[in-house]
Amino acid sequence: MLEPIKNNWRILLLVVVVLGATVALFAPQFGPETAPGEDVSEAQQGVTNLQYGLDLAGGTRVRAPLVGYTATEVDFGGDQPDDVASAIAGELENASESDITAVPEENAVDVTEPSVTEAQFRAAMDASGYAYEDVRSGVTQETRDVAQGIIQDKIDQTGLSGGTVQQVQSLSGEYFILVEVPGENRSSVTSLLEERGTVQIDIAYPTDNGTAVEEEVLTQDDFAELGSAAQSDRGTGAYVPVTVRNTAPEGEQSPAHSFQQAVADREFAEEYNSDLDQCDYSENPDDVSKPCLLLTVDGEVVNSFGMDAELADNMASGSWATDGGFRLTTSEFSEAERIAINLRAGALPADLDISGQGTSRSISASQGENYKNYSLVTGVLAVFAVAGMVFLRYREPAVALPMIVTALAEVYALLGFAALLSYPVELAVIAGFIAVVGTGVDDLVIIADEVMSEGEVNSRKVFNSRFRRAFWVIGAAAATTIIAMSPLMVLSLGDLSGFAIFTILGVLIGVLITRPAYGDILRRLLTVR
Amino acid sequence: MVAIEVPEVNYTEYSNRQLVAVPLAVLVLSLAIIGGWYLVTGAPANLGLEFTGGVELRIADDGGDVEQQIETAFERQPDSVRSIPADDVYVVTFRAADEDPGSLAEDLSTQADEAGLSTSAIDQVSPSFASDTARTAVFGVALAFLGMSVLVFALFRTFVPSIAVVASAFSDLVVPIAVMNLLGIQMTLGTIAALLMIIGYSVDSDILLNNSVLRRTGDFYESVSRATRTGVTMTLTSMAAMIVMAVVASLFGVDLLRNIGIILSVGLCADLMNTYLLNVSLLRWYKFEGVKN
Repeated sequence: MLEPIKNNWRILLLVVVVLGATVALFAPQFGPETAPGEDVSEAQQGVTNLQYGLDLAGGTRVRAPLVGYTATEVDFGGDQPDDVASAIAGELENASESDITAVPEENAVDVTEPSVTEAQFRAAMDASGYAYEDVRSGVTQETRDVAQGIIQDKIDQTGLSGGTVQQVQSLSGEYFILVEVPGENRSSVTSLLEERGTVQIDIAYPTDNGTAVEEEVLTQDDFAELGSAAQSDRGTGAYVPVTVRNTAPEGEQSPAHSFQQAVADREFAEEYNSDLDQCDYSENPDDVSKPCLLLTVDGEVVNSFGMDAELADNMASGSWATDGGFRLTTSEFSEAERIAINLRAGALPADLDISGQGTSRSISASQGENYKNYSLVTGVLAVFAVAGMVFLRYREPAVALPMIVTALAEVYALLGFAALLSYPVELAVIAGFIAVVGTGVDDLVIIADEVMSEGEVNSRKVFNSRFRRAFWVIGAAAATTIIAMSPLMVLSLGDLSGFAIFTILGVLIGVLITRPAYGDILRRLLTVR
Repeated sequence: MVAIEVPEVNYTEYSNRQLVAVPLAVLVLSLAIIGGWYLVTGAPANLGLEFTGGVELRIADDGGDVEQQIETAFERQPDSVRSIPADDVYVVTFRAADEDPGSLAEDLSTQADEAGLSTSAIDQVSPSFASDTARTAVFGVALAFLGMSVLVFALFRTFVPSIAVVASAFSDLVVPIAVMNLLGIQMTLGTIAALLMIIGYSVDSDILLNNSVLRRTGDFYESVSRATRTGVTMTLTSMAAMIVMAVVASLFGVDLLRNIGIILSVGLCADLMNTYLLNVSLLRWYKFEGVKN
């Protein structure tokens, strides 16, 4: 009973691997991660669970450094990071405390205000009296981590599935942020990234000399809850529902209370009594007739609005702050969405230098679709070419056919792996597949030739000794391929790590699973006669 | 039906010197080409976008006189315009400008939009990143080669056969680079991958040959001819796959696959020559004269 299993375990193992690959490729449980509100079949691209990368699905990849300078090996002298930051900021004319990050764990201080030059920063470090070793360009690990998290949030907020953010290091030790967003074009991704996005609310109010503005009545940090952008239920326009924080440390006024106070002071309740009373900031910004709330993003007024009469009364009477609910209205839904993103994700701690030292790649969805088809055709034809050569050489289907089937099983198993790991399939990965077919068949040729050399194979013992001899060469060849490819796996050289990973995986699957199985198949075919 | 007959070379007719002469001449010629290239252009090969920096746009050819439009659309003169009929696109390349390399991609895509051209892909590579990539690539190839050499020495533990493998792998790398220069193929990341693949592929047949001669009993010529039979089949099979890949991919304009295909085809050709002329003669010298010392 167990004897056949024991004798053919290599073939059985191959069958198990192929079945496993089928499950990974087609079972919905292994389906791609879904974006919120999306089900598995929507997230799937095509009939399989394979995820396609930028090249084949379309999208944008941006790789850029964060701008700033970092002083290394700073001696904090036991001071608190905040104190260090403010001391250094005090020495810089063009930077405030929020532009300086002091990280005791790294013994480093960075400045992220783009206008500060290296010389200025050095001078400020010297003047601040903190000893340091050197100043390099780039920012601290802490700042990079924060930026990475924020960018990830920004991408997630747009509801795009599959967007990724990584930190990569170049050979010269410089760090880059690598962002990939499938299905978006270059300009929308760069604007998403470059937007530093500080959102605040100001109040514009009439005075005798025209409009005056009270700034930062509410800022990003004042919101306790943020809803997602929604279409307005009456009229056009859209809004973001927010709740203003109404708690504060003892002795201080909460943001909700101070906002309420500011609104009451500017006499919104008196000016807005019915729906007919509208804010006229957009018509004559320099001479408003009524107080207006201004929604500003990065210092630019994106919308101005008055206030609902009831809400204004609640604020005047002081009852609003206990609840703190409020809507930021905009004229267009996309703007509401952008504001929601900015509020939620906040500002990047440093600028991403996309246009200067950045590298980007963007491919439209249709181009990706074309690439997908072309590479499929290329792959299939390459396999045919290999098959043709093998048939021409051996002219014996018993040897050649299993060879081709085994090589294909190898690629199939690799596809299964790609689905299992959710590794995005790209052009480079497909080149890796083709390379695997090439090396795979090479090794099968070695096995076949070795086994069939020196006359008939009539016993299992003869077969086994020849097979083992062939395997030494195959193992050695596999080891060299793995060694040759491994630098590509770790060096940051664009798509090539995918190529290397799949070539190496393919070689491993080949040596451990498919080639021994081919040996068994060949033995059965040659000795059972 | 046509059958592949692996030719039997009668090695006894030629002296080691004669056998080595051909691959050495090719190697020296290739090195001369690469050296000359370096002297004339300042780089050992035609560097592609990834190593020089710049912007590449793929512009859809939706009928009409797109080529004419491309001529006039951009404020800067494109460095190259390539048509890929199978994919209905034009590939327009701009080298990085010295002044303000940054906003180039942004400007060009705006200019293309304004001219009514539809852009299906934009690649932007900054010059600083490009030079970094070039260094990384050279480092990667060197590391791979070193790793391979160490492994080969560890496997055979004798100097001459090991150095024979390493030497022919070196030549397998150099010849395709020279051929790339002559054919005007640019060095891109794809070609770097192909070069590393050559290290992996080409060593296979060398190892097979060495193994057959050193680790197996039997006559030298018999071992060589046995290894040749298998090795040539292997190389030809891989070459068939690569040639098909190169042809199909260049029809469709999938540059990455095309470049890998071409480089590997050339590399495998060089490998046939190096394995069965250079490596064989070194092995023969080692077997018949080297061991006596």
